[in-house]
Formats: sequence, structure tokens, C-alpha cells
Amino acid sequence: MEDDEIVTLYQRRDEQAIRATAEKYGGYCLHIAQNLLGIREDAEECVNDVYFALWSRIPPELPRCLRTFLGRVTRNISISRFRALRAQKRYSGMEILLSELDDCVPATENVERAAEQRALPGIISDWLESLPTDDCILFVRRYWYGDTTKALAQRTSCTENQMAQRMLRLRKSLKHYLEQKGVSL
Amino acid sequence: MKQQSDSHHSEQIFDAITDVRDALVEQAADVPQKRRRRWPAATAAVLAVAILGGVLLYPFGGNGGLDMAAYAIAEATYPEMAQYPDEAAFFEALQTLQTQLDAGEITEEEFYTESDALNDAFNEQYDAWFAARRAQRDQPEGYAESLDSFFQASIAQFLSGTETENRVYSPVNVYMALSMLAELTGGESRAQILSLLGSDDIASLREQAAAVWNANYSNDGALTSLLAGSVWLDTDVSFDQTPLETLAEVYHASSYQGKMGSEEMNRLLRGWLNEQTGGLLEEQVSSLALDADTVLALATTIYFRAKWANEFNEANTEADVFHGAAGDQSADFMHATRASYYYWGEQFSAAALSLDGGGTMWLILPDEGVSTDALLADAEAVEFLRYAEGYAEDWETSKFLTVNFSVPKFDVSGETDLTEGLRALGVTDVFDLDTADFSPLSDEALCVSKALHGARVAIDEEGVTAAAYTVMGLVGTSMPPTDEVDFVLSRPFLFLVTGETGQPLFAGVVNQP
Repeated sequence: MEDDEIVTLYQRRDEQAIRATAEKYGGYCLHIAQNLLGIREDAEECVNDVYFALWSRIPPELPRCLRTFLGRVTRNISISRFRALRAQKRYSGMEILLSELDDCVPATENVERAAEQRALPGIISDWLESLPTDDCILFVRRYWYGDTTKALAQRTSCTENQMAQRMLRLRKSLKHYLEQKGVSL
Repeated sequence: MKQQSDSHHSEQIFDAITDVRDALVEQAADVPQKRRRRWPAATAAVLAVAILGGVLLYPFGGNGGLDMAAYAIAEATYPEMAQYPDEAAFFEALQTLQTQLDAGEITEEEFYTESDALNDAFNEQYDAWFAARRAQRDQPEGYAESLDSFFQASIAQFLSGTETENRVYSPVNVYMALSMLAELTGGESRAQILSLLGSDDIASLREQAAAVWNANYSNDGALTSLLAGSVWLDTDVSFDQTPLETLAEVYHASSYQGKMGSEEMNRLLRGWLNEQTGGLLEEQVSSLALDADTVLALATTIYFRAKWANEFNEANTEADVFHGAAGDQSADFMHATRASYYYWGEQFSAAALSLDGGGTMWLILPDEGVSTDALLADAEAVEFLRYAEGYAEDWETSKFLTVNFSVPKFDVSGETDLTEGLRALGVTDVFDLDTADFSPLSDEALCVSKALHGARVAIDEEGVTAAAYTVMGLVGTSMPPTDEVDFVLSRPFLFLVTGETGQPLFAGVVNQP
């Protein structure tokens, strides 16, 4: 079923919408949630929550790209669960991603923090667009989709260590870029 | 568990990445990869031991002693694993600091300095543990093919025909024993084993078995999954050291030599088995003895213990009737409601419970009127077990819904003579003195006289840290699914325990919980 048709089902409040979403994008969402949380049952629950979040958000929202919309909702629900339960559970995916992203935290001293935080997605998008396509895709696969370094190494036929080094260079590059832009956190 | 410490800033970056432009996300979109299960609630303790014994034409005597090292002719070492940090000690230290702060014994600044140092030390150990764990788990693609092949071929053979008894075996354990046996044999004897294991040659089997061992071995304070092997030779067997060195290096199996049939040797073997299996198979092991005419015995064990990822609440456990094959009996049923995938086929339904540390217990319930044997002969059900090893999300007849689990506590153990089953599976030559070929090990005429396999799987609702895991579960963000199902295991059923990497560690039939 085409995405437009699925969105139309949501707008008509037809419960087929959820089934169609699950059939077409269940694996996609589970992949992201599993990458971030690492616990099968929790990832499955997150995906279940994603379907219901969609049911309550469309309408009024109208996603331009259903797949990315779903992925974003999955990320947000996964990170909410991580924040709520981090003291009790070892959500390995998120832990390792966040520890890596420590490398990107700018050392800049600045005062206008709130405004910059709102602008941060745009600034990071600009930086991503400045990268060679391969690097851009790798960074998004790692930190948006949560793919493991090993999986990325396999995609690009390099060793895991080489991939880890490449990701480290990208994180340092992002840190440098954020500092250049005067971003502080 | 990792502390929050300075992760707030990285979370801000993570959140910002969530909202990067759609085009960037779409550009990187890809076909989802097959999910690998990790991290999963009650306690599950499972273990197994396989013993393959061989006889010599003319047994001799020798001296025995209880010092293992004195008997070792090839010693294996186990990988040093980074240990999971001691959470209890960490929280106690934090609590002590808090108490000192409250009592005015330390300043606020001292409190923060000290607690930061504790956090840093915890995180450093956690990171080291996590990296080591990943390294251990990540093995070359396709490494478990021969194990999968053996599992598919053997499950019906080793679990069917139970009638009213429970039965359990460990595919990975028998697989390791057979792989080791392949190392010690040659000619058609080896070829038959390779064929059953779906391997082209000994080199590829060796590579895969080593990877399987590494992927499934864990002794890091977080997950206990111990695989061990050993070879026992009679004093006067003349042998080539080379294959024993291979077993030590690749299979982490030590070799010992002593007088077969002697009490010392039997005590050594029983002591070794009890040590490797945490004493949980003590009853079965206690009666184990090698005859004086045994010249070679091969023992492999697996001991696996994990908590449920989301444990059962003990308050919900209640006695009810289990309609066993031998009649009705009372059993303690654990109850939990989970939002979960529910699977079904022509003759069965199934659901899974996750284990802390990455494993999963699959519960497969035959439809009313269908026996477990009938299910094991059902191609679709066996196919489902294959999917359960890693691709269950692709199973067509499945639905994500609310599953009301009702699972009897069980503790099943059993000892199986593998000889008949292995013969039926095409491994025949090693059991016959006229055809067995142990030429890589010895010029003497040898054959396997005994192939015993013991295993035990027990589940309940508890765990060492059960209280910490109990409440959190599933209350938070879940909205009620559109549908729900009662999954009541009140009649004989099958189970499968898969490890962190999805491989079949234990499979069994529960006729009497």
C-alpha cells in the first residue's frame, strides 16, 4: 500500500491504517527501537506505542514522509523509555551512542543557549550536508538509525576498527563545527 | 546500568539529530537488517553435559590422584572477560557518601567530588565490560550455520517419543561434543559427523565451532553462560598430542590422563563436571563412572543462568491444574501480561519471554488434541523453531498484541543416551570397532561406547535482583493493544532457549512441570 493511502486511512479513522503501517514499516521501526534499546520486548513495546502515537497524531498532523515520520516517533518513544528506565535497565544501544556523542559536545562558552538548542537540528543538518555523501550516510545510519559500527563496517567492506576511527573523526568534525558556530550546551 | 553523569549534553545532541532534515534521513534509509535479540524476567537456569565415551581393545591400569594438573596432558585456558561493575558496592558507596553529607561529616563539594569519582570509575568499568562483551559476541557472518543445521536435523530425533516424561537437550552442547569428536576421528567416521553438522571440511567446522564457543561463552558477572569441554584418556593409550592441542586451543577443552575404572579417575571426572555445571547436575553426575575398559571419554558441558528481563510477580503465582500426558497434576502457574508478538501455525501457537543478558525462552504450545510428538513431526512447527533463532519477526502469521502469559514453573532434567539418535542421524561408524577411525588421535583401535547427555532447565519467577526489576516494567508508555490473547501452558508444550546471539542452547518437552 502506498504511503498516501495509509495516511488517508488514518485521516478516515480507519483502523486498517495501523495494520497497514505495521505490515509495511513494522520491521523498519523495530530495527530502530532494537538498535537504541537492545532489549527485544522493550523494542517491540515501543513499536506498539509508535502505532498508537500515529493514530493520535494523524490527523491533525500530515507527515510529508511517512517513513521518516515513523522513524522519528520511534526514536522519541525509545529515548523516553530510556530516560524513564535507565536506572533499572541496561539499554545498551542508547548508552553507547550517548557515550560516543560526548565527543561532539562543544567546549564553547556562550549565553544564548535556549535559542541555539532550538537551532541545533538545523546546524547539524548543515554540517551533514557539507560532508561527502558516504560520510553523511554513515553518520545518519549510526546516530539516527542506531546501526552498530560492525554493521556499518560490513556495509562498507572495512574493518570494525577502521569504521570506529572514521566515526571518531566525524564526531570530532561535528564538535569543531559546533564550536565554530558558537554553539554551547 | 550506567549513570547519567555528563550525558545530558550528549542527549541534547542526540535529540537534535532526531530532528535533522528529512532528506538526510531518507538518503540513509535502508532495508532493515535482521534483528538480533539481546537483553531480556524470572530466573532460568539451564545446563547440560554430554559425555562421549570410547573403549580400547585392551585396557590397562595406571595411577590416579586428585590433583587435576597432575593428570593434564593438554590444558585449555579461558578468555579473561572484563567484569560487569559491582552495582551493589557502587550504590552502597554512594549511600555512604550521602549519609556522611547528611551528617555534616563532609562538605557538599567533597560529596560531589567523591560521587563523581565513583561514577567515573563505574562508567569506566562498564564501558570496558561493554566493549569486551561486544567483541566476544561479534563473530563472522554465517558462523552458526553448522549449529543451525545440526539443530534442525536433531530436534525431532532427541525430543520425540517422550510419552509422559519430560525431555531436554542442549543443541549447542551436543554440537560442541560432536565437533570435538570430529577432530579426533578420520575417514568415514569424520565424514559422517561433518555431514550431520553440515560442514564441508574439518577446517570450516573448526572455525565455526570456535566462533560458536566464543559467541556463547560469558563469565562476566552479568551473564553466566559457561561452555566447557574435556577429554579423558586411559593411562596406557598411546596418542598423538596434536589433536589434543587443537581441542585445548580451539575448543577450550583440557585433556587428562589417568587409570580408567579407578575411583580417583571417576572422582576427578565427577568433580570436573560438578564444577563446570555449578553443582546443578550433581544427582546425575554422582552415579557417573567410567568402566575400566573405557579408554577415552569426552565430556562437554554448558551452564547458563539468566534472570527474566521482566520478571514475573511472585504474588501472581498460583496453583492450577496442568493436564499432563500422564494425567492431571497441580502446578504453580506464573502469570504476567505483556505486549508481545504472538505467533501461530496450523497446529500450534507460540510466544517468547526475554532473558536478561540477551537470551530468549520460546514457548510453543500445540493446539488442543495435538501431541508434542506430532508437532515435532510438523514441518511448519520445525520451520518456526528455525525462525525463532533469529527471524521471528518475519513469521507471517504473527500479531503484536496483549499476551496474558500463564506459565507453569518447571524444573526438567534428564539423561539421554545419544547413541541411537546419532545413529539414526547417520553417525554410525564411530560406534563400531570395525569401522571407527580415530587415526588422528591414536593408532589403536577405538570406538565410542557411550554417548550420554544430561541437561536440566529450570524456571521460576525470581532473580537475584528481582526487586529492582519488578516494578518498572511495562507500565510507562504502552497504550492498550487492539487485541489480546490468553497464552495458557496448561498442557504439554515445547520450549527453546536461545542465547544472546539467537543460537539454540536448550530445547525440551514439558510433560510434567
